[in-house]
Amino acid sequence: MKQLHQPDYMEILKLDDSELKRRLAFFELGEEDFKRLTELRSFAERWTHEITEGLYELIMGQPESRAFFPDQSTLARVKKMQNTYFLGLFSGNYDLNYVRDRLRVGTAHERIGMPPKLYLGAYRRYLDLIHARLLDHFKGSETEATKALSSIRKLIFFDMAFAIDTYIAAYLETMTRHQAAIRELSTPVIKVHDRILLLPIVGTVDTQRAHQIMETVLVQVVEQQARVMILDIAGVPVVDTKVADHILKTTAAVQLLGSQTILTGISASVARTVVQLGVEITRMHTRSKLSEGIELALSIVGKKIAPKSNHAGSGDF
Amino acid sequence: MASGPIPILKIGRTLLATIQIELHDTVVDSFQADVLEEIEKTGASGLIVDISALETVDSYVARMLANTAKMAKLMGTGTVIVGMRPAVAATLVRMGYFMDGIDTALSLEEGLALWAGRSKESSSENS
Repeated sequence: MKQLHQPDYMEILKLDDSELKRRLAFFELGEEDFKRLTELRSFAERWTHEITEGLYELIMGQPESRAFFPDQSTLARVKKMQNTYFLGLFSGNYDLNYVRDRLRVGTAHERIGMPPKLYLGAYRRYLDLIHARLLDHFKGSETEATKALSSIRKLIFFDMAFAIDTYIAAYLETMTRHQAAIRELSTPVIKVHDRILLLPIVGTVDTQRAHQIMETVLVQVVEQQARVMILDIAGVPVVDTKVADHILKTTAAVQLLGSQTILTGISASVARTVVQLGVEITRMHTRSKLSEGIELALSIVGKKIAPKSNHAGSGDF
Repeated sequence: MASGPIPILKIGRTLLATIQIELHDTVVDSFQADVLEEIEKTGASGLIVDISALETVDSYVARMLANTAKMAKLMGTGTVIVGMRPAVAATLVRMGYFMDGIDTALSLEEGLALWAGRSKESSSENS
């Protein structure tokens, strides 16, 4: 199985001794519960298989949850894991190792893409099954059965909290990764020619992105000692006052560095809005097409695109 | 030679001031006085202020630099500010301070080249 990127949820969720204590306190899990749970170990060993079967009756009875267990060997494996899990509830050790094991359970559910609704729904049946066996076990003494169920329920909710935390942490982790990728993709500065850079801006420009564009542009201009920075806004769907203002500020900052900007990709509708909004952009070079912008940039650095003369051309091939 | 905290060097007809200390208000004031005095004395045609060592430039310093450039202009001397850092430029424009009408260059070398180009232009105009 591919396990290259396995985040350490113990660390992400900051699970140390003091956090464990706080959690145990909030779920009101104490020595009395631990004692009661440990005493139920033989009960657990006696009934675990039946309880697991009852649980999978629900899971396999619904197409949505059944889809996660495509074949018999997978089913046999998860049932075995379920038994181990169940016996773990009565092991008597509720320390950080226990937590680590519970996080593994959460991670496993998250990794196969099992939605929390199925996970929590199945737990509901699980508690019912346990309750029924407890009533049998205590020969109808409801008080004893209720006390035992209470302890088990505390521990199960304690477990569920880890699984839900893992789900959330995993989603956050994915989101952070995607955001970083998007940020990287959103400001690709291209070197067009000696000392000429191009930044094609595609998509909506919000304040955060505008800041990032300015930062990238300024740093790149200085790093590559660019004389001209071409900003192509053909891919920006809407240019409003805010976007225009950001572009204006970036242009001014580039000028402060001792370089120039050329704004290209200005469509008819953008030109109309900008003038109607009264944005002052006369101070910057503008062109409608990128190719014209590149020609202008070349002329600024003292070069030009010229047609090949017939004489030189024939020699090249 | 000016005796202020910022040395002002003369290279040909150009004055070069490299600012390597944080600019407090008093330093900027004396810098302005020194520069103008030096222009008067030497009749320099150009002034280059290198601020590549400055990590921050507040609005007062920016305004003083801009004013110094304007004053130099009145005396017939053009100013180029060179080597501004990206973070400084970003802060200045975010404060709404665009330093209009001031020449800038990416590096000292470019600043000198700018003057060389200009003096060529003006000498060809004169001939």
